[in-house]
Amino acid sequence: MTSQSCVSIRKELDIVGARQLGRDITKEVGFGLVDQARVTTAISELARNIYLYADEGEICCEALDYTNKKGIRITASDQGKGIEDVAKVMQDGYSTSGGLGAGLPGVKRLMDEFDLQTEVGKGSVISAVKWLR
Amino acid sequence: MRIPILKLQHYLLVSIQTEIDDNTAIQFQEDLLSKIHESGTSGVVIDLTSVDIIDSYIAKVLGDVVTMSDLMGAKVVLTGIQPAVAMTLIDLGIHLSNVPTALDLEQGLIKLRQELGE
Amino acid sequence: MDTKTKETLINNSDQVVEIWLDTMRKLKEDIYPEASMDLFEQTNREFINIIFSNINGEFSNDVFEDFSERVINLGWPLGYITDGLNAFRRVSIDFIIVQAESIDAAYNTEIARQVDEWSTPIIRHLVNSYSGSWENIVSLQRMALQELSAPLIPVIDRITIMPLIGTIDTDRAKLIMENLLEGVIRHNAEVVLIDITGVPVVDTMVAHHIIQAADAVRLIGSTCILVGIRPEIAQTIVNLGIDLGKFITKSSLKKGFKTALQMTDREILDYETEKQSIEEIIDSIDKE
Repeated sequence: MTSQSCVSIRKELDIVGARQLGRDITKEVGFGLVDQARVTTAISELARNIYLYADEGEICCEALDYTNKKGIRITASDQGKGIEDVAKVMQDGYSTSGGLGAGLPGVKRLMDEFDLQTEVGKGSVISAVKWLR
Repeated sequence: MRIPILKLQHYLLVSIQTEIDDNTAIQFQEDLLSKIHESGTSGVVIDLTSVDIIDSYIAKVLGDVVTMSDLMGAKVVLTGIQPAVAMTLIDLGIHLSNVPTALDLEQGLIKLRQELGE
Repeated sequence: MDTKTKETLINNSDQVVEIWLDTMRKLKEDIYPEASMDLFEQTNREFINIIFSNINGEFSNDVFEDFSERVINLGWPLGYITDGLNAFRRVSIDFIIVQAESIDAAYNTEIARQVDEWSTPIIRHLVNSYSGSWENIVSLQRMALQELSAPLIPVIDRITIMPLIGTIDTDRAKLIMENLLEGVIRHNAEVVLIDITGVPVVDTMVAHHIIQAADAVRLIGSTCILVGIRPEIAQTIVNLGIDLGKFITKSSLKKGFKTALQMTDREILDYETEKQSIEEIIDSIDKE
């Protein structure tokens, strides 16, 4: 059984909206304070990436409820220009925007599972899962 | 949304009580620097007790503000970073290692005096 | 199962039980040489009773669970249960076929099918309750381990100690970090001593977790002192090229505690005056 809610990211303030969505769903699933912060921060990073690099996209949160485990899946999708060098963006400290370059590798560390699909010129889909401990 | 900056004796006190979005963060950076310039203060305490999320962007703005204030001759101490926030920052690989920290506002003021040698 | 086959089994239960017990005795030599004969017999009898009460339609989940828990407590593997049930299936098929008047292949297959159909749910049930009890035990042990995982001891105002014991893996490291940070806030600790005397091996991964914890402690505004660094740990840390330069480290908790006191502007003083007065009394006794 799953339920999904999405926020579209067009303007800077939508990042805050995406964070709020993350807070609500992590609380609902029953995550502790620390993991709530981890997931919400990961959402914030992904939302900012969309805003900075793709102009427009969507963040979806899905509560996962299986017989033996519960969790949350975040999916960030955009129709932007895609990522040319995936290995490079997964490197700590790499940034094209003058940020800290902690974004994607940081998200990977914050979450339990991480998957990046991208096609140059078509856009990217990033999906990450955090399981309830 | 603007973050209020208070003056206490010859220090500046900032307590961030709202969700920080990117604009607020940049606005705050500008406000704080001009306030430092106006007041000629030598020390600033920024209290983050009520902040539940710091992502890499906000962390960068905070780190920058500390370095910029330093350039203007004002020490900044960050106080009240929540455990959950600290752990997410570490996961993100952000250590803010050049920034002095303290447990709470009171400790922050003590730390500031130590740092300034007053 | 067809009532007739069932009846054959129930009416001849004594014989079937005997053959089954015999089969199990043969198995014992090979698989469970350590179990005592009496215990093995007793458990087998209990086992076959459960099987027969199930044939009689007296189905009870509790009985299954009690039995599988007993088997686990005896330390016998899941194989005992599946062996027993397989043996029973073979024994019953053989027995019914021998009893039957006509011997033709179709009948034999039919019997085998019926016995299978009826024994599969029992196997599933017993295996499920065995693995269920096992999982239960594992999760209880995991909880017990977590509880003793990372205690935080507020020894004196503003100073707290966290002794680490045992191997540190990623899961434990996260838990330790959470306890550590929550504890620092709760006890308002300006200095926290992490004692790694009880950590057997410090490899790059463990060191990485400790460094992260110390960094996080610094972020929330406290200071971390790493104590209990034994000679061999100092050697591995340097040989692995791990940089602990940013942190205060001490060889013993005693030294670390002294540093912590200094950092919070305090020190330990011997209570000299009392000693002196005792010496004066002794002196005065000598004079008399």
